Amino acid sequence: MSLIPAFALAAALIAAGVLFTRRAVTLYRLVRMGKPAARFGDVVRRVRAEAVVVVGQSKLLQRVVPGLMHAAIFWGFLVLFPTILIALIGAVDPHSTLPWLGAQGWYALLVDVFAALVLIGVIAAFVIRKVQRPVRFKGSHLGEADLILALIAGIVVTLFTWHASQIALHLNDYPASWAPISNALASRMSGPAIPYVERAAVWAHVLIILSFLVYLPYSKHLHIAVAAINVYFGRTRARGRLEPIDFEKPEQEVRFGSARVTDMTWKQMVDTMSCTECGRCQDVCPAYATGKALSPKLLIMAMRDQLMEEGPKTLTDHSHVPPPIVPNAVTDDVVWDCVTCGACVRECPVGIEHIDHVIDLRRNLVMVESRFPDEAGTMLRDVDRSSNPWGRPGSDRMQWAEGLGLRVLQPGEDAPDVLFWVGCAPAFDERARKAAVSTAKLMLEAGVDFAILGPRESCSGDPARRMGDEYTYQRLAGENVATLNGAGVKKIVTTCPHCFNTIGNEYPDFGGRYEVVHHTDFLAGLVRDGKLNPAADGRTITYHDSCYLARHNDVRSQPRELVAAVGKAVEMPRNRERTFCCGAGGARMWMEEKRGTPINHERVREAAATGADTLAVACPFCTVMLDDGVRETGAKMQVVDLATLLHEAVERRRGQA
Amino acid sequence: MRIAVCIKRVPITGGRILLTEDGRAIDTRHLGFTMSPHEECGVEEAVRLIEANKGESVVLTLGPAESVEQLRDAMALGIDRAIHLQTDGREWDAEGTAAALVEAIRADEAAAGPFDLVFFGNESADSGGFQVGIRVARALGRPCVTGLKKVALDGAGVRCEQDVEGGRDVYVVLLPAVLTVKEGLNLPRYPSVPGKMRARSKPVAVTQPVRPEPRLELVRLSVPAGQGRQAESLGTGAAAAPAVVELLRRAGVL
Amino acid sequence: MNVVVLVERDSEPSRQAMTVARKFGDALHGVTIDEAYPFAPDAWAAVLEQAAEVVGASAVFAAGTERGNEVMARLAARAGLPLAANCTSATPGDPVTVTRQRWGGSLLEEARLRSPRPLITVAPHTVAAEAGPELVEVDVQLLLQRLDPADQLVRVSGHVAPQAGGVSLAAARVVVSGGRGVGSKEGFTIIEELAGLLGAAVGCSRAVTSAGWRPHSDQVGQTGTKVAPEVYIACGISGATQHMAGLKGAKRIIAINSDAQAPLMLNADYTVVGDLKEVVPAISAEIRKLKP
Repeated sequence: MSLIPAFALAAALIAAGVLFTRRAVTLYRLVRMGKPAARFGDVVRRVRAEAVVVVGQSKLLQRVVPGLMHAAIFWGFLVLFPTILIALIGAVDPHSTLPWLGAQGWYALLVDVFAALVLIGVIAAFVIRKVQRPVRFKGSHLGEADLILALIAGIVVTLFTWHASQIALHLNDYPASWAPISNALASRMSGPAIPYVERAAVWAHVLIILSFLVYLPYSKHLHIAVAAINVYFGRTRARGRLEPIDFEKPEQEVRFGSARVTDMTWKQMVDTMSCTECGRCQDVCPAYATGKALSPKLLIMAMRDQLMEEGPKTLTDHSHVPPPIVPNAVTDDVVWDCVTCGACVRECPVGIEHIDHVIDLRRNLVMVESRFPDEAGTMLRDVDRSSNPWGRPGSDRMQWAEGLGLRVLQPGEDAPDVLFWVGCAPAFDERARKAAVSTAKLMLEAGVDFAILGPRESCSGDPARRMGDEYTYQRLAGENVATLNGAGVKKIVTTCPHCFNTIGNEYPDFGGRYEVVHHTDFLAGLVRDGKLNPAADGRTITYHDSCYLARHNDVRSQPRELVAAVGKAVEMPRNRERTFCCGAGGARMWMEEKRGTPINHERVREAAATGADTLAVACPFCTVMLDDGVRETGAKMQVVDLATLLHEAVERRRGQA
Repeated sequence: MRIAVCIKRVPITGGRILLTEDGRAIDTRHLGFTMSPHEECGVEEAVRLIEANKGESVVLTLGPAESVEQLRDAMALGIDRAIHLQTDGREWDAEGTAAALVEAIRADEAAAGPFDLVFFGNESADSGGFQVGIRVARALGRPCVTGLKKVALDGAGVRCEQDVEGGRDVYVVLLPAVLTVKEGLNLPRYPSVPGKMRARSKPVAVTQPVRPEPRLELVRLSVPAGQGRQAESLGTGAAAAPAVVELLRRAGVL
Repeated sequence: MNVVVLVERDSEPSRQAMTVARKFGDALHGVTIDEAYPFAPDAWAAVLEQAAEVVGASAVFAAGTERGNEVMARLAARAGLPLAANCTSATPGDPVTVTRQRWGGSLLEEARLRSPRPLITVAPHTVAAEAGPELVEVDVQLLLQRLDPADQLVRVSGHVAPQAGGVSLAAARVVVSGGRGVGSKEGFTIIEELAGLLGAAVGCSRAVTSAGWRPHSDQVGQTGTKVAPEVYIACGISGATQHMAGLKGAKRIIAINSDAQAPLMLNADYTVVGDLKEVVPAISAEIRKLKP
């Protein structure tokens, strides 16, 4: 073994090691500085997520071609990992390699095959980026991506060159026939230069890898270290559940969301470090698609950039106060454009949870700075003082049910089998009313033992929570839980997916544990059990999946059972968990869209393109937004709730009998 | 600078007002509560003046135990402390209310110094007597300007603007003074949650004044019969436009 | 028996107040506010007090206008007497029974007034003015000369002209008003357009001013401006009592709302069920057809 290469390698390793480690330590210390996040339980689910999402590349494969491209590179990287060690050894001594593994033919085969796959993957990536030029890369650092791809290509090309020249020099410990590609390349090599080529190739390989190592923690390629960690620490509880704030702590210790990057939780910091700027989130964002300021990708990138800029300053000087995130890194518009539909979170291959970032920015803006769109302020005041976003008196909550003969649960009475949670929309909005009326009539017909709370309902609190007013939300949640627990309620049916989500997934954090069922699920059950008998007619129905049902809560098939029972179904391209938001989520029902085109118009266009005459909905907000959209675009469709369609179908059967 | 603001807890009514069985009160079981709209502006003005001039602000109310919620709301906006003249829930008339407030204000001034300004709403949303602020000013021997839409400190006095037909009348009086204000004076801020949390622990001094016999005594409430408006339908949607225009023509406004 | 009445010149509410005052005495003595003097409310309260003492008034009345309520409240304070403000009816007796307005008129209160000299203001436009015997004019000038300087400390010292542009809401013959249903500040463009075509003032509900879409000076309602137009067109306003309190004087209310059950729809003279974003421009278009 010659000493010069050994020293040279040692020097290179030390240099690269020091540079890498220093930066890695800074990043680690940043994350340690992050605020707490409870992500250590549910180990089984976390390990499963690693296996499926990281190793199995499941989210990446949601888009087949780019997914396969990346899988090739990623799995290739896993298989080729030991070759780094082999190369390091080989750089010092051309005759040495890793014991045992270095001699395995099967491993040499794997290396050849996967190295080729990586190269194909890189070429595919270049074709996608340079020829196809997908829109989702708008705003991403394309030069950086090109460099990274070139480095990967360099690693693989130098690897093949080294192996080929090794084989040509008979330096290989593994049988050459087991490395077909390298072997074939070797047979084309001849001449006195081969030993130099072999040395050059292995050193080029090692140096590219070491430079890559140093470059890693300064680039978006950091994701190769961080993404797996980010996926491990992802949410394991209900997707629609937000993390509550503990207001019982002394005021200085309460975390009111994020004002500055130093307020972020460690998980949020890791989120920003995981971003590869792939743009899949941007592609599916309804706000971005309709010309708003928000791009989930650019949001995460901006927060990452501010974190990387300001975070290290805080580490070296504890008194350094970073500038506020809003409006310096992220504008107010971006924060309020979000409809919390979750399409971005669903797409993200590295487990970034964009909604949590938006909500934390909103929490600070609303609760500390009182900085939000004026019209939303009216809604917040109304929710706080009148316990509903319409500012109407609680005594008016019964008006929709006049003449229906519904049982109103009085304090002290025994709870019914099912509590029909009406919600604010049907009580105070004339279009949302119909679904509640139909549901009530159907439940009466089916002989369900149910009652409503009437004026004792308060707003579920969802609009306040999604706006970031966690304080008001917790007060309302507490009131409702007290009412529901006091009444001994066990099972709740509701027509509103937002009430459904918050009561079912979020109220348990406040002592309220109930079986909560969406009305489409409940009614589908009644139809299955033969308690309701609809007669389908020839109408063509396209069903709009509500985000809070289909994406946050996996309720997708039951509404479709109802569609099939009442007419002919035709699906929109963006359906089920890929559904496109109506635009009302994230409390945007109460905010005006100030630029671009309206989100609801976009969705109505998609619905109208199916040619269906009926646009079926399962949510009072979707009802209002899509009905507005139909009227404003002049689409020839009727927006009807599934409960109303079912009621009509049941009447039809009765009429036929 | 020391400023006091007087507020009153009132229910938030909607489109219909429901009364209790005996017709002597509004049925508030499912209603939210707030301080009167004019008073919110008074609170905001007081907070702004103290922010600009340093000093102390106090909010007072005569009302049942639950009125402490409105005191906390005022303190969440920035008022420093509160005085709660707690009643047993029965209504007090304007004379009684003013007398109790005067006593509380005098007691506080004896302990902590005179109030440069005392703010009132021009009238309360519910009983609308238009007189409590004026009575308190008279008893304290201070000038009173009412119905104000703009207030500005001006040397040793205060310059006030009151809406009248054709503009605003300007009054200038010396401090200490009593001012009654109207909504539109300012746009009250939205309270921050840290503000609300701090308000929970700000001091509220409670006393229980004795209720004098009211000389204007409520017998019964009633909802006035509609003015006989018939709600005649002119049609639905844009198709009703010609009928509307015809109506406007007949009314002589076109 | 003598009754003293505070009179605002050429004011229908004053004549209405006199109508009720006549029930309390056969001789009405009028203290007419002299507009030549800069208004000083305590001064007029002092004059009223003097006049009442001189004639031994059995009661003192005024209209429940801004001025009327203010002067009478000051009289009540200085005389140490109760005041029943904004009454829709008053019946002499011991005690006097009154019906007065609460919640800007959305609720009525029947009350007993115990006072050696009842002080009452009459809510404007709730009582029909009836002709009656001539008022005896009190020599106000004499009383004004004898005023205590303390009563002139609070006095109008200047005037600010109104903001330029627009028709005054309180005096407008037609008001086109928008509520929450208008949706945004920009949404008011169609309201302004219709108002422009009708030479009308633009009004709004409290929800709109709270949202910052329009200034408070446009607000119609209990804590805003009370209007009395020939026609009041309400677009997308649900009709909380707070708002309705400002509409008592409107001769005709046309309500446009997509919710047929909204309180204002049930309390209007004419209704259009529909989306105001369609209906209002359609009305403007129809008007343009008439006057191109």
